[in-house]
Amino acid sequence: MKYKKNLKVSVSGVRGIIGESLTPGLITSFAASFGRYVGPGKVVVGRDTRPSGEMVEHAVVAGLLAVGCQPMLIGIVPTPTVQIAVKHYNACGGIAITASHNPVQWNALKFIGPSSLFLDRIEAAELLDIYNQPDIGFSDENSFRSIQRKNDAFAIHQKKIFDNIDVEAIRDAGFKVAVDCCCGVGALYSRKFLEELGCEVFTVYDQPTGIFERGPEPIAENLVKLSETVKQNKCLVGFAQDPDGDRLALVNSQGEAVGEQYSLVMAVDHILSEMPGDVVVNVQTTKAVEDVAASYGCSVEYSRVGEINVTGRMLETGAEIGGEGSCGGVIWSKVHPCRDSFVTMALILEMMALSGEKFDEILESLPAYVTRSLKFPCPAARANEIVRFLKHKYSDCELYTIDGIRINFPDSWVLVRPSNTETVIRLSAEARSAEKADELMKNFSEDILKLADKA
Amino acid sequence: MRGMVGGGLNPLLAIDFASALGTFLDHGKVVVGIDSRISSEMLYHAACAALTSCGINVHYAGVAPAPVVHFLTPHLKADGAMLLGAGHQGAGWNALVPLAADGSYLNSILVQELLDIYHSHQYKICPWNELGKVSRINKKEIKAYFDFLGSLVDVKAISAKNFTVIADFCNGSGAPYTKMLAETLGINLIPINNIVSGILPHSPEPRPRSAFQVNSIMKPLKADIGFVFNSDMSRGAIVTDSGETLSEEYTFPIVADYILEKHGRQQRVITNQCSTRTIDDIVKRHGGEIYKTHVGQAAIADKMLEVDAILGGEGSGSVIMRGGVRGSDCFLAMALTLEAMAVRNMTSTQLAGRLPRYHIVKQTINCPSARAYSLIRNLRNHFPDAEVIEDDGFKFIWHDGWISLRNAATEPVIRMISEWKTMDEALDRALRVRGLLERLEAL
Repeated sequence: MKYKKNLKVSVSGVRGIIGESLTPGLITSFAASFGRYVGPGKVVVGRDTRPSGEMVEHAVVAGLLAVGCQPMLIGIVPTPTVQIAVKHYNACGGIAITASHNPVQWNALKFIGPSSLFLDRIEAAELLDIYNQPDIGFSDENSFRSIQRKNDAFAIHQKKIFDNIDVEAIRDAGFKVAVDCCCGVGALYSRKFLEELGCEVFTVYDQPTGIFERGPEPIAENLVKLSETVKQNKCLVGFAQDPDGDRLALVNSQGEAVGEQYSLVMAVDHILSEMPGDVVVNVQTTKAVEDVAASYGCSVEYSRVGEINVTGRMLETGAEIGGEGSCGGVIWSKVHPCRDSFVTMALILEMMALSGEKFDEILESLPAYVTRSLKFPCPAARANEIVRFLKHKYSDCELYTIDGIRINFPDSWVLVRPSNTETVIRLSAEARSAEKADELMKNFSEDILKLADKA
Repeated sequence: MRGMVGGGLNPLLAIDFASALGTFLDHGKVVVGIDSRISSEMLYHAACAALTSCGINVHYAGVAPAPVVHFLTPHLKADGAMLLGAGHQGAGWNALVPLAADGSYLNSILVQELLDIYHSHQYKICPWNELGKVSRINKKEIKAYFDFLGSLVDVKAISAKNFTVIADFCNGSGAPYTKMLAETLGINLIPINNIVSGILPHSPEPRPRSAFQVNSIMKPLKADIGFVFNSDMSRGAIVTDSGETLSEEYTFPIVADYILEKHGRQQRVITNQCSTRTIDDIVKRHGGEIYKTHVGQAAIADKMLEVDAILGGEGSGSVIMRGGVRGSDCFLAMALTLEAMAVRNMTSTQLAGRLPRYHIVKQTINCPSARAYSLIRNLRNHFPDAEVIEDDGFKFIWHDGWISLRNAATEPVIRMISEWKTMDEALDRALRVRGLLERLEAL
């Protein structure tokens, strides 16, 4: 049997390849351990459109039932819907079956605690501790509970968004938009969601097959078809979702991808213009957020990369808006402290409706930065050495060292960060111009390659 | 594959076992039916995940009696089936039972092959684009079973009699189908314990003590006959209109008495070593030939095929008929009994009156299984005058009665059956053996 080197157990859940590492037995064991961790109550289970989702769901349900939990199946829904459902139904936890932007052969379990947030690092470690105990402690039949099914989870999610935005204003504006659902969960909900906001909607990759016909990451090279649709139909804006509907990238009316970072920049601008307050973003987020916040007299706090790290700090600081610029993840805690592409679409539409400005005009008014990123294969121990070396070398610069190292220069920055999910080290750089960003990338790549090879 | 839910039988074991079946079949489709037990749904989800990840398409029948699954497997041209339910076993237990493509239990060779895969822990596992699909078997297909049942019996004769029948479904998997059953046979069926709640109203073995509820309402409701079924419709016992609860041993002889008469002499009949002598007498009465096998439906069904027998059945209340499904079917046992009453124009009491009676005592003796084998073997020295058949445990036969001792496959007990002409003799012999065993165990 092949050595299973593609299983990732981390703070962001249990990821693996179907047919290799992510076996039914492993899934059931993790689901049972999670059930034991949260206790014998309701556990919401939702999944994305991946073809393997059904098999994974059966294994999850078996594990939950066997420890006396009541699985509450909400079907194929966006990941944020699962989190919102945990809160709405007062469940004691949730499992989202999705490998997010990973290719189709992957799947994963993402665990949501009773707080309706993803497990944080400490909680994830506790769950893993239970999983590693020799006896999972299955229940006897007397304490078994039945399965519950709900088909209104997304409706609840949508209502929560509509309750918090100016639906009438958006409807009156009657926008023409395009949306790329990536054959993911958006294919089931996005058209209706946008139509109920009074939009004329053009969709691409709108079949919920889970067989991704474009690269699942919403980066420029994967958005060609969306760009064409936007141009052909003279849409104001194009929205690109990822397969599980938590992240969003944008295409302007010329059909140009504007970079994932700008979903967050726009959302921050819009929210602060209505109600100034704190902002929390991860360290891999554009400085444009800081500039926008400064214009409203607000400050930005940086957190580690990873949704739960951002939401954790948002809840502690009371920030209403935040997110992960690097992956188009906008978090608006007024709806729910989680990344949500539907919230992002609604906020951008509301911004256009209330300001009366077109998408391209708003975009032009925002500070412009260019971001580049790369990854290098590198074992974890070596990666830490690289970070330490850079910390020493740039000790007289402004540094953020909460997650890898971010070196801030005036008007530009570089982030070098060991990955949580792969054995690589990531390099990102941002500057006012493409030339400057490329130059930074070149300089730091040389440093990293030299150190990574030294092993 | 049986066990206590939680302790022995957990979803990981279910996944391993279903993966072994999936690996064994390699591809194709499998029918899965569950009984009403609360833990059966958990087992279904585990089996479903495992089978689909072996690339097997799952056709899910939901809560379905064993005979319906025996029928659906060849009917839907499936490559195998899985019954999730513990049949006659007490609350808290459950089981995974694999079936072959013709709907029968796997024979010993296939079981061995399956277990070899299970013990190796090397299972087939498919990539995302080769996973099996799950579909739900619709009501129409289940109706097809009842049409088939109707084709096996003389429905016209039965319905003409307008029988009132009370049946206790033990809140089991037969419960959802009482209406279809009544319509098929044209009877006035009064079902009791017919809620699919997963809670067993009494011990699911159709022993006389489980029949007290049926028995108590026979007279007030002027019923012609009563039946007590186990939770998956593979075993049944009869209550007569005079209010006598017959031992489950007599279900098979009553059916055999009628079928052998109908089909003439020289028919072959299969039963196990531990069933009542009544069946021997009945077969002799109709000039038939009897073959005896191990305990268990798999052995009975296998032998039936081998010698082209018309009937097979066991003292536990199970009946298999040639031309019917490939496993015990108590819907059919019920229908044939009613046909016997209708065609012969007899009451259920008169049917029972045709049987030569013996008295049977069934007891269990607690004994860890490791010890049991040698203890039973030792007993041989104590009964030099008996004829001994060592096939499935030991059977000691005297001219006027017999005792069978068998290490149970499903629990750590020795099952003892003692049968003599009178109850006193049967009890007396059972007591002697129990005393002997207990003394031997203490040594």
